[in-house]
Amino acid sequence: MNLSHSVPRVDAIEKSEATTQYIADMEFAGMLYARTLRADRPRAKILTIDIPPLPAGYYIIDHNDVPGKNRIKMLIYDWPFFAEDVVNHVGEPILLVVGPDRDELETLLSRIVVHYADSAPILSIEEARRGSLPPIYGEDNCFAKYEIVKGDPEGAFAGAARIVESEHRTGYQEHVYIEPQGFVGLVEKGNKITVYGSMQCPYYVKNALIEGLGCAPEKVRVVQTTTGGAFGGKEEYPSLIAGHVAFAALKTGRPVQLLFDRSEDIAATTKRHPSVFRYRTALDAEGCIRGMDVEIDLDGGAYAGLSSVVLQRAIFAATGIYRVDNLRVSGRVLATNTVPTGAFRGFGAPQAFFAIEMHMERIAGELGLDPLEFKMSHALKQGDETSTGGYIWQAVKLPEMVEQLERMSGYTRKRAEIKQRGNAGNLPLRGIGLSLFFHGCGFTGNAEQAIIKGRATLSKLPGEKVEILVSSAEMGQGCQTTLRKIVAHALDIPLDNVIYANPDTDRVPDSGPTVASRTVMVVGRLLERAAAEMKSRWDTEETFSVTTAYRQPEWVKWDQDTLKGDAYPTYSWGANVVEVEIDPLTLETDIRGAWGVYDVGVPIDERIVLGQIEGGMVQGLGYATIEVMNMKQGHILQNSLTDYIIPTVKDVPPIESSLVANPYEDGPFGAKGAGELPLVGAAPALAAAVQHALGLPVADIPVTPEYLLRLLEQTSLK
Amino acid sequence: MIEFTLNGEAVSIETDPLRRLLDVLREDFELKGPKEGCGEGECGACAVLLDGKLVNSCLVPIGAIAKREITTIEGYRHTRRHAVLAESFSEEGAVQCGICTPGMIMAAEALLSEHPEPTAEQIKEGLSGNLCRCTGYNMIVRAVARAAEKGKGLW
Amino acid sequence: MVNAYRPASFAEALRIRQERRVIPFAGGTDLMVKHRRHSGLAPQFDHPILLLGHLQELRTIDSAENELVIGASTTLADLARHSETPEALRQAIAEIASPALRNVATLTGNICNASPAGDTLPALYCLNASLVLVCSGGERQMNIDEFILGPGQTVLRADELVRAVVIPRESFDLTHYRKVGTRRANALAKLSFLGLASSEGEVIRDLRVAFGAVAPTVVRAKELEREYAGCRKKDLEQHRGALVDAYAKLIVPIDDQRSTAHYRKAICLRLLEQFLAEITRDGA
Repeated sequence: MNLSHSVPRVDAIEKSEATTQYIADMEFAGMLYARTLRADRPRAKILTIDIPPLPAGYYIIDHNDVPGKNRIKMLIYDWPFFAEDVVNHVGEPILLVVGPDRDELETLLSRIVVHYADSAPILSIEEARRGSLPPIYGEDNCFAKYEIVKGDPEGAFAGAARIVESEHRTGYQEHVYIEPQGFVGLVEKGNKITVYGSMQCPYYVKNALIEGLGCAPEKVRVVQTTTGGAFGGKEEYPSLIAGHVAFAALKTGRPVQLLFDRSEDIAATTKRHPSVFRYRTALDAEGCIRGMDVEIDLDGGAYAGLSSVVLQRAIFAATGIYRVDNLRVSGRVLATNTVPTGAFRGFGAPQAFFAIEMHMERIAGELGLDPLEFKMSHALKQGDETSTGGYIWQAVKLPEMVEQLERMSGYTRKRAEIKQRGNAGNLPLRGIGLSLFFHGCGFTGNAEQAIIKGRATLSKLPGEKVEILVSSAEMGQGCQTTLRKIVAHALDIPLDNVIYANPDTDRVPDSGPTVASRTVMVVGRLLERAAAEMKSRWDTEETFSVTTAYRQPEWVKWDQDTLKGDAYPTYSWGANVVEVEIDPLTLETDIRGAWGVYDVGVPIDERIVLGQIEGGMVQGLGYATIEVMNMKQGHILQNSLTDYIIPTVKDVPPIESSLVANPYEDGPFGAKGAGELPLVGAAPALAAAVQHALGLPVADIPVTPEYLLRLLEQTSLK
Repeated sequence: MIEFTLNGEAVSIETDPLRRLLDVLREDFELKGPKEGCGEGECGACAVLLDGKLVNSCLVPIGAIAKREITTIEGYRHTRRHAVLAESFSEEGAVQCGICTPGMIMAAEALLSEHPEPTAEQIKEGLSGNLCRCTGYNMIVRAVARAAEKGKGLW
Repeated sequence: MVNAYRPASFAEALRIRQERRVIPFAGGTDLMVKHRRHSGLAPQFDHPILLLGHLQELRTIDSAENELVIGASTTLADLARHSETPEALRQAIAEIASPALRNVATLTGNICNASPAGDTLPALYCLNASLVLVCSGGERQMNIDEFILGPGQTVLRADELVRAVVIPRESFDLTHYRKVGTRRANALAKLSFLGLASSEGEVIRDLRVAFGAVAPTVVRAKELEREYAGCRKKDLEQHRGALVDAYAKLIVPIDDQRSTAHYRKAICLRLLEQFLAEITRDGA
């Protein structure tokens, strides 16, 4: 049977019957509630905190109640569980109030007075760059900076026939998982802390708790509850919440529940990094790219989190799908007194691909060339060197994908039609745009091998049942179904014989976090290998376990210090077309159609991959258009779902997609990553379409009617 | 004492009339199907039927429910209509993380009750108050259309 | 401490309203959001609420010969479905929030909330809607543009309740409603425009224009409308610029989390121009 052939998702019916338990649905005997007191200003010293007398059974939990290290384990130890003497962003947690009655908690919270001495906050990338205020981090407010150089960029620019420059900006994006964040912590027999919660990375949480509690690994248990959407927003932040409930459970001796209110979630949890990309490209007399110079600034917010890795991915994606022999790409992620930014589907790539694709459109426009032809003439091919001096080891199916995309969308034909028709009177302004993109599969660099060292276990149980023991979390992406399919197919047993519970760190090895489009490709591969071994022993033993450990493919060469070599073992590829109609009166953009062709190796389940495609596309289109988030003095202005707008059913266009097969030798049954790729290409295709409709360069997203009005007025002034 | 009908049963409760219907359902009646996604009537994850009409239970005080009829997903999931919807949702890939699903199904029920043979536009209008972040919606729209087709005669 | 009253009749509701300070609560959708607290907590009001949504005697739509009388607890959904509901109002309601909200929210609530962005308001202003206000002492009927004083402020007295909204029945040749929201569904208005017109041949018999969400209250200028009632289409076309300029002075939007003053004003004037052009072209 063809593996890719769709099967009913194993969890669809129970979710339709609402028998699935999310963290807010779970009750624990004697459970207390927790509420968080948060900083209401962007940068200040805490002088004193006036706490009203607490009724019996009510507690305050603050940094004094952190038994171990009051720092969340990320890459840099700057992010506290609870503020100590300073606060660095609006919404930063200062303390918890814990007790049995939520009305009482609300009253207590409202009576706590924090006395601050305000400092001048750094509120933007520009202010952070200027360096006129005391830094939040290090000497220069820089959480990380990197530079990659290939070939001879100076020479390329010196000998250029023409240089094209453009600058591009992207804004915040909020995940809006429909299930807000939440955890319950309790102390179990033997002083063991157990936390249940909505998360992507059980072992990130466990490791953070071990350090926060200052205890042995056996004293911490983390259990993922079925997660109602995450998109990267539950990669880092849950470690903070888990710490809070753990410290509270320890102090009170009771289970403690901490559920976020939506407004609180929007205000306090991580967001996508806003970015500024400055491109300079050197072209020769024939209009070929000879060199590129890119400068990137990301806004990291108040604490580093995973920003250095987001920056790395943005740097590695900055030259897009193009072969550029001479380049310099430098980037910084800057600290500002705003909400810490973090992981969000694409992780630096959506920003980079927006920028490079719009820059390529700009060059094509200046040269009077068709953008698609111009882009394809520079596209990477198998065997080419990447921007970090690694190689495109596998086949690149872009030409075939573009051909399919043309057939599906009519891109070139429509571009000609639209140009011919021109834009008259009150008719909607039509435009159609195209983007080409990839997503490096799995962790950036050598993290998979050097840090994560993922392992997976398969257990054969009586009755020919097999249990999957991995730390991968179902958050909607379908891994409960796809990982089961891989194992069932490899062992040639019915899908129903495969058991896969939500990960519990007492029972599963650390197969790594559920991020980076690695779950099917890396963890699935570990399971495929385990299944192969299990199959060879199937008839000889009734019950046994097989554990496999990650092996980096031998062809991958990477130096994390110089950032040279293969940043990723492989890439998934995509091509998008978006067609728009702009109302000439109101400048609202109506998305008439979206098309995508994708190479994800081999789909483990076609319908599940389709779900990722459509969901990712819509999330990317929202990022490009209506998802506006502005800050004022470090406060998010759009802090409710009324004001932070995500697409409704009426905002989405018809979406048509198809897949191109390109089996990857180190993926299970040839599969590569698929979760993030579909979001990456949506925004540039949309912006290119709007640009085409208006005949004006669109530099930034989100493309709002207000932005388009400014663009048009600026142009008519010139 | 507030008396009302809940999933076909006469019930009563002594409580602050200002408490949200959502909280009373989840906490006092232990019905966890309606979810809190936003608390401001924007996401539809808390949707239930009030006298057969779709409402967001986070915006209704329990005091307003006296003498009325509430149906939650728990009072609906044993029906043939639900089975057709659940099957259709599964077949079309309309369920991913599942947190919006109970509300979507209640919205679909309300829609199909009014328009048993809905156009695509009517389906979208009927679901316009339910947010989903996972699917991109088109699969949900197809699922409802499929349910209308498969369930001819049920609505 | 009683924090909610559920009267068995409108008469009882009135009595309670005379006796103590209460907050009239029909659908309550605006009130529940305004007074919401953290997840899991009941909303907090300064005074007890007076539940009115359940009163069948207020959930009425009566169409008399020359007016439509809409009971104070009639939901937006019921109003949208009714065959006699004026087209402009029907279009406005169709773009309010979501089906679930429209099943609970009321026309009266939308009026009394008096938000600058209230979606039904431009239509109600243009249609010369009035409210029937009742207290123990008697009744008074008041035009909506006198009833709403400013954002969140109406003349409703502490001992009064709205019993009905009255809309004169009129027909128009041209109804042009446009709401520009933050997205295609379930969106608050950045701005809205309503134009109504009727003509007899070359003569404009009736011209009404209103803008929503771009000033503290709905912008409607009856003096300007009166100037052009009875004029020829040719004259309107000639004076179109002056008319647009006159409205430009009245449209005073703000920058906020949804949009900018600049955009709101620019688009309002474009929509007005488009409407005026439509009248004189083929329109009414």
